[in-house]
Amino acid sequence: MSLSFLAPIFLAGFALIAIPILVHLTHREKKQPVLFPSLMFLRRVQFRAAKRQRIRHWLLFLMRVTAIALIVAAFARPLLDTSTLGLAVVGQSREVVVLLDRSYSMTYGDRWERATDAAAAVMDGLGPGDRATLVAFADKAEVVTTATADPISWGAAIDRVEPGGGRTQLGPAVQLAGDLLASSELAIRELVLITDFQRSAWDGTDAVRMPGGTQIRAVNVGDSSATNVAVADVVIERSRAGARDQVRISSRVVNPSGAAVTLPVALTLDEETIETQEITVPASGAAVVSFTVQMVPDRVALGRVTVVADDVAADNAFHFVVAPIVPVRILVLTSPAARANDVLYIQEALAIGDDPPYDVQIKRASDFRGDDLDGLDGLILADAPPPQGSNGQAIEGWIRAGGGLLVVLGPRTGPGAWPPEGRALIGGAPGMVVDRLDDRGATLSILSYEHPVFEPFATPRSGDFSVARFLRYREFTPAPDPTGESHRMLVRFDDGGPAMFEHRLGRGKVLVWTGGVANLWNDLPLKPVFLPFIHQVARYLASYSEEPASYTVGQVAHIDEARMAGDEAGEIVIESPAGDRAAVAVGGSIPVVLDQAGFYTARRLAGGTNAGVVVAANPDAREADLAMVSPDEVLLALQADDAASERTETLAASLTVGQKERRQALWWYLLIAAAALLLMESALAHRTADVVR
Amino acid sequence: MSSPTRFLDPVVLSRISSLDLLARTVVDGFISGLHRSPYLGFSVDFAEHRPYTPGDDVRRIDWRVFGRTDRLFVKEFEADTNANLSVLFDVSGSMHYGSGPITKVEYGKYLAACLTYFSRKQRDRVGIVTFDDDIIEYVPPSAKHLEVVLHTIDRIQPCEREGGFELPLNKIAQMLTRRSLLVVISDLYEDPDVIIRALSRLHHKGNDVIVFHLLDPAEVEFPFEEAAQFQDIESGERMPVVPEKLREEYRGHLEAHLDTLKRRMVQNEIDYCFVQTSQPLDHALFEYLSRREQLSRVR
Repeated sequence: MSLSFLAPIFLAGFALIAIPILVHLTHREKKQPVLFPSLMFLRRVQFRAAKRQRIRHWLLFLMRVTAIALIVAAFARPLLDTSTLGLAVVGQSREVVVLLDRSYSMTYGDRWERATDAAAAVMDGLGPGDRATLVAFADKAEVVTTATADPISWGAAIDRVEPGGGRTQLGPAVQLAGDLLASSELAIRELVLITDFQRSAWDGTDAVRMPGGTQIRAVNVGDSSATNVAVADVVIERSRAGARDQVRISSRVVNPSGAAVTLPVALTLDEETIETQEITVPASGAAVVSFTVQMVPDRVALGRVTVVADDVAADNAFHFVVAPIVPVRILVLTSPAARANDVLYIQEALAIGDDPPYDVQIKRASDFRGDDLDGLDGLILADAPPPQGSNGQAIEGWIRAGGGLLVVLGPRTGPGAWPPEGRALIGGAPGMVVDRLDDRGATLSILSYEHPVFEPFATPRSGDFSVARFLRYREFTPAPDPTGESHRMLVRFDDGGPAMFEHRLGRGKVLVWTGGVANLWNDLPLKPVFLPFIHQVARYLASYSEEPASYTVGQVAHIDEARMAGDEAGEIVIESPAGDRAAVAVGGSIPVVLDQAGFYTARRLAGGTNAGVVVAANPDAREADLAMVSPDEVLLALQADDAASERTETLAASLTVGQKERRQALWWYLLIAAAALLLMESALAHRTADVVR
Repeated sequence: MSSPTRFLDPVVLSRISSLDLLARTVVDGFISGLHRSPYLGFSVDFAEHRPYTPGDDVRRIDWRVFGRTDRLFVKEFEADTNANLSVLFDVSGSMHYGSGPITKVEYGKYLAACLTYFSRKQRDRVGIVTFDDDIIEYVPPSAKHLEVVLHTIDRIQPCEREGGFELPLNKIAQMLTRRSLLVVISDLYEDPDVIIRALSRLHHKGNDVIVFHLLDPAEVEFPFEEAAQFQDIESGERMPVVPEKLREEYRGHLEAHLDTLKRRMVQNEIDYCFVQTSQPLDHALFEYLSRREQLSRVR
């Protein structure tokens, strides 16, 4: 360590120290003589006066010299070049980030108490200038308190954290900690990882490294001998059997421990225990238990499969919702002149589906009434002109409210069949029939695989549309799109002609298919891809989304507002499994963050006795495995390659002399000391002067 | 409630312009602080009888004793004889020095005024002699001279004349025809031999002598720091002085001077009282009072 100066030229100011020396050595005579009663006694000693000069008022003299020296040194801007002291170059303050595991496996035994004690102890170890940040993590990482050195706020932050239902994932947590440490300007960076080191939390592929020089300390609260049995998942199969629904509930129970266990498994529906079975789950294995229940159709039931309680309660129960079978209603309107088998392929294809089942109704377009739209999920105009008048307006209104219409252009739906209202409805004008008999038919060449209809076919061997031959199709000219967002060409023929076109109308959509309805113009219905294609179109028209029986904690469930009864303008309240209630904004799909295991209920305040919409959330089954990974393995993976000294040296080398000096700011302390000295000097000099006078 | 001794502080007294009032204030305040009668020597207490001798005042004959014994006895009372008080006040140039609020001569004026007022209350005759190297003013002791004495004290002006001791005190010794109590107020900047010789002459003529040696605190401590030309107030002589160099030696010479004076005066039965002008007046007043008490027991 050596002392250097940013502006050494000011050191010449040390010559000013000569001033107080001269002042204190010089016995300057007063100009005015001092009147004295008698020199009788002075005459006897006069010749011994002033033989040797010496400093007078040593204390004053030292204070003045020191003050001048401090001021001069301050102007010279001193700095300590502590390259040999490592971290001392940039101070000794520490930036500590504490990662506190709050996954549900931390509820095992006394893990949580030991973890919070370890987190609290971090604050005790902080020195002056140090600060710590608390990050609680499970499947997500969250900064509980920003960098602080206040023990009170630190303790309060720890108290706010509780074990949740999430699964441990170290990757996002250490990534957040690394970002926090990387942005710190403090010299020493330290990561304290408090977790039970579950193997499932660390797959070893997380390429997360702490910033260089970070000291990583692990606090392992895990226990390799811990055992846990969990209900991993539930599969629900509901089928209609006469007047009742038959529901088969299959549950998988896992036992990650090294010993087989025999335990009862109970099924509860709507808080009523339906059946209990005893099963044996092999060591490090799983067993499936099935329950068959007869249920009233259209009934929603809240179910739970539970095993006997063990030390980790969170995964002893699996919550699910048994939803009723609700078919998708599709109405197919045909031309009055249509043959009986024109919509045969569509009808047969939709009749096969059971996920969801389709309720297909075929009707002449001339028989269509506006009332037919009630409860309808999708409407298909199978080579039929659009209804006119009030029926046409009803269809348009239904589409704008969210309905889906598929218009199949065929031989009977030429340009003359489409009045202006009809063309406005489909977003374009049908044209003449294009005959491709001469070149063995057209093929579908350009498909928008990112569209929901074609998304399942995006991957290879997921459906080949190019095998279908289109001998004829009808021209279609899209109308100008003023917004640029309401028209979309989904499929084109190999000659560039439109094959499938989408027109967004209000909240609904209109799909226009130009290739004809039956296998008269093309052989697509004979191809394997036809069935899933029709199902996808029907799902898209109906805006169908499969509601899972349960979610995993950490996921976000989107609840459709339309599924809730009551006043549409009424406020919607989400109630968590813990009983917390939160009001959410009304409108469309309501996102619900599932951070607890159990049932979430969304209902309108003005919904009367309606139970609302219920979704179930369960802990991630992977968290049930309490097997541990070696803390050393994790720490080694997180540790940066360079050592602390290297970082310090790099940091020191990267700092200019001016930056080092500014970091230390020693001149500031010197000036304060000089000012204090001068104040004391002033008081002392005043007192001395009084005595002299 | 203020302390009675507050009026003995010379700094406080300097605010009183009238010497008469000043003396009255000091003496009354001083007396009020005593727990004994102030009229010492003026007591009418009977002491003893002695046979009548020719020349005795016939008014003192105790006729009752004569009636019983047929002999003439004269009654003796304590302090039945009034004393003369003369203040010999040195007003030379050195007495006009003062490092504080008051000078030595001012302090001496207060002291002289108080002593004369106090003595007058004892029915003493009071007078004053001011002198430097010669007698300046002379007020003979008289029972009616209190006002004159105070006026004389009040008229003392600063002068730069050199002081002398032998000449004026010899003249005073010749002028005093009656045994007196002589109070000398001076800073005694003179050779001790000269001082003792002059004072002894006064004492040998039957006078009781009390010397109040007045010095300023600066003369005693010599607290000066800065080098300067020191000028003798009386002679005007200058001398370069570095105080810190000779402070200790100065103090040594002064202490030797004081010791010599005290020792020699004791040897010559002269009462000596060293007073600094920073001290309250009670110190000097007590000194005088004790001396006056001794003198009052005259039978």
